[in-house]
Amino acid sequence: MMQAFFTRAGLFRALMLLLCAGATAAFADALDGVLEVHSAYVNIDNGVFLLHARVEYPINPQIRDALRDGVTLTFELDTRVERERRLWLNATIVDLTLRRELMYHAVSDRYVVRDVKTGQQENFPTLDEAITYLGRIDGWPILVEPQLNGGSYLISVRAGVRRGKLPASLRALFFWTDDFRRVSEWYSWSLPV
Amino acid sequence: MVSTGLNRPQSGRKAWVIPALVILWGAVGVGALLLLAKSVQNSSAFDRLQPWILLLNLIGVVALTVLLARKLWQLVRDYRDHVPGSRLTARTVSIFGALVVAPLVIVYLFSLDFLNRGIDSWFKVEVKQGLSDALVLSGAALNLRMKEYSSRTEELAHSLAATGPGDIQEKIDGERRATGAMEIVLFGEHERILAASVEDPLETLPSRPPSDLVRQIREHRMYVSLEPQSDGQYYIRTAAPLSDPTTKAEARYVVAIYQVPPQISALSEAVQRSYSQYGELAALREALKSGFRLTLTLVLLLAMLAAIYGAIFFAQRLVRPVQNLIAGTRAVGKGDFGTRLPLPSRDEMGFLVHSFNDMTKRLRRAHEEATRSQQAVERERERLAIILARLSTGVLAVDRMLTVRMANQAAGSILGTELSVATGRSLPEVAAGNDRLGQFVAAIAVRFAAGRDEWREQLELDAAAGRRTLMCACTPMPGEGADMAYVIVFDDITTLLAAQRDAAWGEVARRLAHEIKNPLTPIQLSAERMRRKFLGSMSPSDAEILDRSTRTIVNQVEAMQQMVNAFSEYARAPEMKITRFSLNQLVTEVADLYRSQDPRAGIRLDLDESIDGIEADRGRIRQILNNLVTNALESLEGLNSPTLEIASRLESGGDASYAVVTVCDNGPGFQRELLGRVFDPYVTSKPKGTGLGLAIVKKIVEEHGGRIDADNRPEGGARVRVVLPVKDSTRSATGGARERRDALRRERA
Repeated sequence: MMQAFFTRAGLFRALMLLLCAGATAAFADALDGVLEVHSAYVNIDNGVFLLHARVEYPINPQIRDALRDGVTLTFELDTRVERERRLWLNATIVDLTLRRELMYHAVSDRYVVRDVKTGQQENFPTLDEAITYLGRIDGWPILVEPQLNGGSYLISVRAGVRRGKLPASLRALFFWTDDFRRVSEWYSWSLPV
Repeated sequence: MVSTGLNRPQSGRKAWVIPALVILWGAVGVGALLLLAKSVQNSSAFDRLQPWILLLNLIGVVALTVLLARKLWQLVRDYRDHVPGSRLTARTVSIFGALVVAPLVIVYLFSLDFLNRGIDSWFKVEVKQGLSDALVLSGAALNLRMKEYSSRTEELAHSLAATGPGDIQEKIDGERRATGAMEIVLFGEHERILAASVEDPLETLPSRPPSDLVRQIREHRMYVSLEPQSDGQYYIRTAAPLSDPTTKAEARYVVAIYQVPPQISALSEAVQRSYSQYGELAALREALKSGFRLTLTLVLLLAMLAAIYGAIFFAQRLVRPVQNLIAGTRAVGKGDFGTRLPLPSRDEMGFLVHSFNDMTKRLRRAHEEATRSQQAVERERERLAIILARLSTGVLAVDRMLTVRMANQAAGSILGTELSVATGRSLPEVAAGNDRLGQFVAAIAVRFAAGRDEWREQLELDAAAGRRTLMCACTPMPGEGADMAYVIVFDDITTLLAAQRDAAWGEVARRLAHEIKNPLTPIQLSAERMRRKFLGSMSPSDAEILDRSTRTIVNQVEAMQQMVNAFSEYARAPEMKITRFSLNQLVTEVADLYRSQDPRAGIRLDLDESIDGIEADRGRIRQILNNLVTNALESLEGLNSPTLEIASRLESGGDASYAVVTVCDNGPGFQRELLGRVFDPYVTSKPKGTGLGLAIVKKIVEEHGGRIDADNRPEGGARVRVVLPVKDSTRSATGGARERRDALRRERA
């Protein structure tokens, strides 16, 4: 084995491993931890399907330090509604993302959660409260009844965290890596129509 | 056609592989750039397109790697196989590669250093310290405000605690107007609003106190917080408890929200924004450096791969005309004068290729001319060979060492061996075991040894098969030294001489018969008349003498008449009566006749039943058989166990069939010196023979268009072989001896 490692091919493999390890180690960050959709359901209110979900986002000292250093975290909740088809791929009816940013406001010493789409923001004195707030999604309208026309539907929810807001000019630099983003497994269930 | 190995346009599958890969690589590169440009517009597009960008880049790299590996492998293989031009290509690639790679590496190293230094300079300690100081400064400015508002709120709380319920609302409104607060709300237990004053009660409602505020108030502590808003404004929320916690009255607290002056808010927000941006960038510091390094390395690798591929590609394009010239030269060297090289361009190389094509064109014309001349010579040679093959005259070409250069078929037939396959062999070697050819070679050698290059003579070849007479003529052919050759032309004139002899003998016999027969009758009549007239009148002794003399005269005259008749018979050429009869039956009849006459003679028959019959003069054929059997029986006289065998066979020769009758005996055979002349008149070894028996036989055979041979059997005894055509038409076609004799007479006349 050692002999094989010191052959020309083995040396090449070792170099490639070192290169990859160096590249990934440089971006190892605070996104490690539990990232999971604990539960999710929808209810209908006047023909509107409202999503309720409970998500556990990672929280650790590294995240706190990163936030205090000025890094913005983006919390995403991807929602997809598909109509099931037997002989073909499912048809996507809805594909939405709830995107909220969490940042530490150094001047006010508060954690600010801002909805990217609406611009609304909430202030929290502690990170735990902000994370707890982010993990509770209640009454997010995702679908209206006229969009459904029979058949069976599958709804899937996935949570994600993104570290930092990369400037557009630098985004191309990191096209080859996804170490700045983590996503959970899809949480899926059939839509009760 | 000689394989030239020219670099002609590739056909079939290989023709589109390289262009397809190049197009694929270009399309992938453009696609990746487009996707990249689109992805930087927003993050969601980037997330969606990232796998495709990665895939396209991977495909591009793989395509380029495949192209380069293919080119390098081809180059290495050609180099190892010593393909013409490969070393020049390798050298050109090395130079091009070095010229391209060296600047690339220098730029790469310089860029790496520049990037590292540049990125590090973004995060200087002074910048970070400045931001922190600004943050502290804005915090201090805001803290002053917060303390001020907190004190006011505390004073308000004390004032409200002492105010009765009916004056509270008025007190709050007055305080709000006096301090410029956005809202002042008095809460009771469970966040119940007891009184509130807001700027625009129709538009806004009192905000709910945050949980940390409630928590602190319950602990009977003052609360103040700075709350940034989405529009960039800053609010200061203060709260103070109204009642003493030790009392049992309802716990109340007042919450006031003040707006920070816009100037201070804007400045603070700017500081916060700068701090966040700096923090974002600082967090990406190492990632940026690694990303730049990796991206630069990838770009360098791609550029180097593309540069090396381009170097190989253009080197091969440059060398290709040279390779074509080498291959074309080799092809011309192997005799392919139809080689045409593709014109690469209109430069000096194109001029060289054009000159090469012009040269091959001229060479091809010259070659075609030479080929035509050679073909003409070959045709002439073939014609000559046909003529020589059809000649009945033997033609033999030898050099001075008697090595056969050429011999036609007739030469082999005359000399009794196959000479057409003896080309290149020594003539004495070929003549081993062949008496006739041996004598012929010896005669030639003697003349060459005597220095005679040109001669014309008649050669007598005396072999076991019979004497043959050849008329030879030798002439030297053009050439010198070892190339000196001689052509010997010879003709077998044995038959011609025999025919001449036959004609001469016929003439002699006819004249003898004519001249001798006329006086014989008067002599005989005179002798008989003398005997009748004087025999009675003479004394007995005289009468006896007369009687004996006249009887002798008469007997001798009769003997002479018989001889003359025999001559007449030889010279006479009566009309033949051709009928179809059974040859085997005739042979049987003749054999039975002689068996009855001489039972001692052991006559055996070996007849071929396939001979149905032949068309011939039956009486003459019987005479042939009689003469041959008589001749054989006479030679067998005195032997203890005489044996005579008569055999018949059917043979085919050309288009005709021949009946072959062979008469063999176990007698002493023909004398060797007479063997070539046994069919000549008056040639005999028997004391009582007239010498006309076999001559007449030969004459009859030839009149039937046949031929006759005589030789001695290896086991002893004579053998005569008569060949007769089965059909009379064959005889008419070939012509008989009589016709030849008549022709000779006409010629002589």
